[in-house]
Amino acid sequence: MQLYLPIAEIPVNIFVIFGMGGAVGFLSGLFGIGGGFLLTPLLIFSGIPPAVSVATVTTQVVASSASAVITYWRRKAIDFKLAFMLLIGGISGSALGVVLFDVLQSLGQLDLVISISYVTFLGTIGALMLVESLRAIRRRRTGHVPTARRPGQHNWIHGLPFKMRFRQSKLYVSVIPILVLGSVIGFLGTVLGIGGGFMMVPALIYLLRVPTGIVIGTSLLQILFTMAAATILHSMSTQTVDIVLALTLMIGGVIGAQFGARMGQNLRGEQLRLLLALLVLGVGLRFAVDLLLTPENVFSIAIMKGAGA
Amino acid sequence: MIPFLSALRATMAGFGMVMALVAQQPAAAQQDQAVPQELVTSLSSDIVSIQSNFTGTEIVIFGQISDDLKASHPDAKYDLAITVEGPGQDITTRRKDRFLGVWINRHYETFQNVPSFYAAATTRSVSELAHRDVLDDNAIGLYHLNLPISGHSNVPVNDRDDFRKAFLELRQQEGLYSERPGAIQFLTRTMFRTTVPLPANIPVGAYKVRSYLFEDGSLLSRQEAQLYVGKVGFEQVTFNLSRNYPFFYGLLAVILAVCTGWLAGVIFRRD
Repeated sequence: MQLYLPIAEIPVNIFVIFGMGGAVGFLSGLFGIGGGFLLTPLLIFSGIPPAVSVATVTTQVVASSASAVITYWRRKAIDFKLAFMLLIGGISGSALGVVLFDVLQSLGQLDLVISISYVTFLGTIGALMLVESLRAIRRRRTGHVPTARRPGQHNWIHGLPFKMRFRQSKLYVSVIPILVLGSVIGFLGTVLGIGGGFMMVPALIYLLRVPTGIVIGTSLLQILFTMAAATILHSMSTQTVDIVLALTLMIGGVIGAQFGARMGQNLRGEQLRLLLALLVLGVGLRFAVDLLLTPENVFSIAIMKGAGA
Repeated sequence: MIPFLSALRATMAGFGMVMALVAQQPAAAQQDQAVPQELVTSLSSDIVSIQSNFTGTEIVIFGQISDDLKASHPDAKYDLAITVEGPGQDITTRRKDRFLGVWINRHYETFQNVPSFYAAATTRSVSELAHRDVLDDNAIGLYHLNLPISGHSNVPVNDRDDFRKAFLELRQQEGLYSERPGAIQFLTRTMFRTTVPLPANIPVGAYKVRSYLFEDGSLLSRQEAQLYVGKVGFEQVTFNLSRNYPFFYGLLAVILAVCTGWLAGVIFRRD
């Protein structure tokens, strides 16, 4: 069934969009990620204008993370204090990101920066996660019992000043790395049009040593608020949030997320991380291929002013 | 779907006929001018409404050449061209080059105030209609469109034609530019019609439908009509809200998203 989108100004097959939302929602529930880094490219490849895709995905991420946050909230698996500190960093990072976004767009290099960033971040994080999860699986196979939490072991981050106690996460760390992490992810998220959960989750686990059980809910809460702000900012500046597209995506997304969240409970942590690593690497590779292969058409056009700009 | 479409088409055609006949009356009223009206045209509809089920449409353009003209110049060769032009846009065309192994946008050219939609229907190939100057002046045919470029272009002069060509090709691929020789059919000796497909991605705004009559390669008469493409109903309300009250539109989107998420959480609650 074809449905005309009032802001994107094109008709789309509503079932295809619904299915995309569902599939990405499933993965987002499974891995505790917003799913923006998967959904944005999918929408662009299916012919939705990039500006509309980026802005509308922020709205869809709000819905899918709201749905998942409630599930984690009920399970008391959210560290509100940590999420709040991350959010403070995130909003300041977003503000910077908006500025860079405008500059890059006017230079015509936004696509390039997005592609290179996707390749770099997805490639690095995907590879790190892949190595780590494979190692964890091998350890389990050889019967070596891993010590999940080593309270006595500190890395350099734990030597920083301005320490704060996060009871829920059983952490006593400096706020500096938390603010920096929040703002870096807020900045990257705004420029790349993604929530940044796939970067947040491993950073919280490996850098701050937040317990795995708390990480996903906390990261999702942070994403929920950042993306809500991003939706409103996009509505006001780029005016490319398509509410009809967003609603179709989010209905598919929240349903998928529920199933994903349940399936995630039945999978072991390292298996989950291995799957996410492969997914992240796959998307990164897809962007690398586009950058390196000779394009079918070296020319492209973009409407700068007037009807449909 | 197919019978519905053909029914729609028949209705539109019928409507167009009536319109064509109606249009002759004001033409007759203007006959007191020294020169009789050589060319009369009419559109099947002067408003294209975009609703949620819009997947593109077509407009039918009817017209008639004056009978007297045909009678008084029996040996003359008559040709017609009809162009449909959408509201103007500034469009940047970029070319990728390999830089350090990676394909990136290097050179670009911005075409200013070019049509967002352009369709030309003619009785024969455009170059045979008239002299190049006439075609250029009236923007008849894709390669006679005026595509002014902005001052701050960084394109080498000898590459400019490539950008022009690429721009026209990309617009044609999107279905927004077209040139269809032989697309005007004569129904009788003097009456003609053509259909111009309007794809689903047409921009909204005021369109100009121009008709040209050529006699032995010289422009004899031209007519201009307005066509308005606009959103109606829910599409219009949503679009207006997003443009006039962007903050509330964004807030509405967020509330909608949170409610959807919450609702799903309630529905799927198991524990």
